[in-house]
Amino acid sequence: MHIRVDGLTHIYARGTPAERVALRGVNLEIGPGERVGISGPTGSGKSTLVQHIAGLLVPTAGQVLLDGVPAHARTPEARTRRRQVGLAFQFPEAQMFEVTVFREVAFGPRHLGLNTDEIAARVRWALEMVGLDPEAFADRVPFALSGGEMRRVALAGILALQPRVLILDEPTAGLDPRGRADILARLRAWQAQTGATLILVSHHLDEMAGLVDRVVLLADGQVVADGPTRQVLGDGDGLRSVGLSPPPSIALLEALRAAGWPVRTDAVDIEEVVAEIVPCMADQYHTKTQGHRERDNKLYRE
Amino acid sequence: MNLLLPGMYFAADTVLHRLDPRTKVGTALVLMALPFVARHPLGHLLTVGLIGAAVILSRAPWRALLGTLRTLFWLGFFMFFFYFFTTPGRPLIALGRVTVTLEGVLAGAMQVYRLCLLAVIAALLTYTTSPLQLTHGLEAMLSPLARLGFPVRELGMVLTIALRFVPTFFEEIETLSRAQKARGVDLSSGPPWQRIRNMVPVLVPLFLSAIRRAEELAVAMEARGFRSHPHRTRLYRLTLTRADAIAAIVVLACGIAGIIL
Repeated sequence: MHIRVDGLTHIYARGTPAERVALRGVNLEIGPGERVGISGPTGSGKSTLVQHIAGLLVPTAGQVLLDGVPAHARTPEARTRRRQVGLAFQFPEAQMFEVTVFREVAFGPRHLGLNTDEIAARVRWALEMVGLDPEAFADRVPFALSGGEMRRVALAGILALQPRVLILDEPTAGLDPRGRADILARLRAWQAQTGATLILVSHHLDEMAGLVDRVVLLADGQVVADGPTRQVLGDGDGLRSVGLSPPPSIALLEALRAAGWPVRTDAVDIEEVVAEIVPCMADQYHTKTQGHRERDNKLYRE
Repeated sequence: MNLLLPGMYFAADTVLHRLDPRTKVGTALVLMALPFVARHPLGHLLTVGLIGAAVILSRAPWRALLGTLRTLFWLGFFMFFFYFFTTPGRPLIALGRVTVTLEGVLAGAMQVYRLCLLAVIAALLTYTTSPLQLTHGLEAMLSPLARLGFPVRELGMVLTIALRFVPTFFEEIETLSRAQKARGVDLSSGPPWQRIRNMVPVLVPLFLSAIRRAEELAVAMEARGFRSHPHRTRLYRLTLTRADAIAAIVVLACGIAGIIL
């Protein structure tokens, strides 16, 4: 699905003392199958923007077009498009209400009007997709699960809708490092399998780096940077100017560069960082050992 | 997420905001009684005038006030028709077995007028008085009852907490219904029984989080050493000023005038 955000402005509580502008004329285009990260400091409008893409809010000005149809419209065309956009809110486990994991995940598909067999197949598929064994989990009570398991069930509930656009708002917030890595890996696998559009909202830039090809940076309701992941995340000063800290890999390379090492600073994953650092270390080691040898020779001659 | 909610406090610095909460609660009660006791049209005119002046003084947002009235639309609608059809008097139109009377129309309109005024007064009270001040004022007004063993302070604390979580509750309803909409439920259309059933995915998580929050709050309060104590001291003391005296005299004078007229 082609997403086009056109001069989108959103004002909360308009005309009251609590009025707050969340988005100011945002323009953005996201093609089918793109993997996009949206980042920015707290209050920059990330969550508001993705809720607009899912057609859940009515714009104050401008619009979001899903394949050319306004996302918030009350027409059948808009409704079918909205249904193809899956949005997982922050802490999606807070929305669970069913008595079993199966029913919880089946909630969305049931509302799509599918028959029982299709629903069962989708629930099974979605649970496997998030790394939960359908046999072991289907009949359990969602509220008796661990935090990480609850998060997976909630995400499965969205995946079971088989959206063509999946939006995740801080999907790993509050999880332990292993849980984070695992969920991100599973999302990557899901995206590769379905070829759907993936929009990831997060201020964990290092997490984002491995999952998206493009990063959109929001600050104060406006797009301040939009480009390939490497380009946006490699611009440490740009990130800092909006109050974000660059991912650790970039910070490390920047520090080495400041110390005089000839390294690039736009490496976004560990392998790339290693590839940057190792040759320099070898050089340094080489010059150092050469220096030692000369000194030893000198001593020896004396 | 700063939504527009009825009954919310709007921080501002106006004469009404600075009044002592006891004055505000007291005058609000008098104003609420006025549309019921006034008999002469002039008394009602006085009431509407006073409330109008208060609205202007409070600089309350019009939209918010209208929103408060809108939430009462159906209640007002039914009240109107209840009186419309059940009051005996001079018949205007006969619709089958029921007759609409002139008295009925007037009585219905009167009830709606009273309901609107009550809503506006209550809204003004919460717009201009922070929940903390409001309960502090109520506590001070009820303190004589404490001698009879009535747990006034505890009641005050319960009220403070309840008021504090009203906006949170509404925000949560908003977020939850959006989240469930994102999962494919159409909350705002379909036959009534369907719509009621669609409330379940919103209400169950809402109550769960409310219970969880209550537990967390209780633990947090105990961790800070809170316990029920008859002589808790206050950071802010209530003081009556000249503005309070003026407000009380004006409203009381109008109240007496309303009864006498």
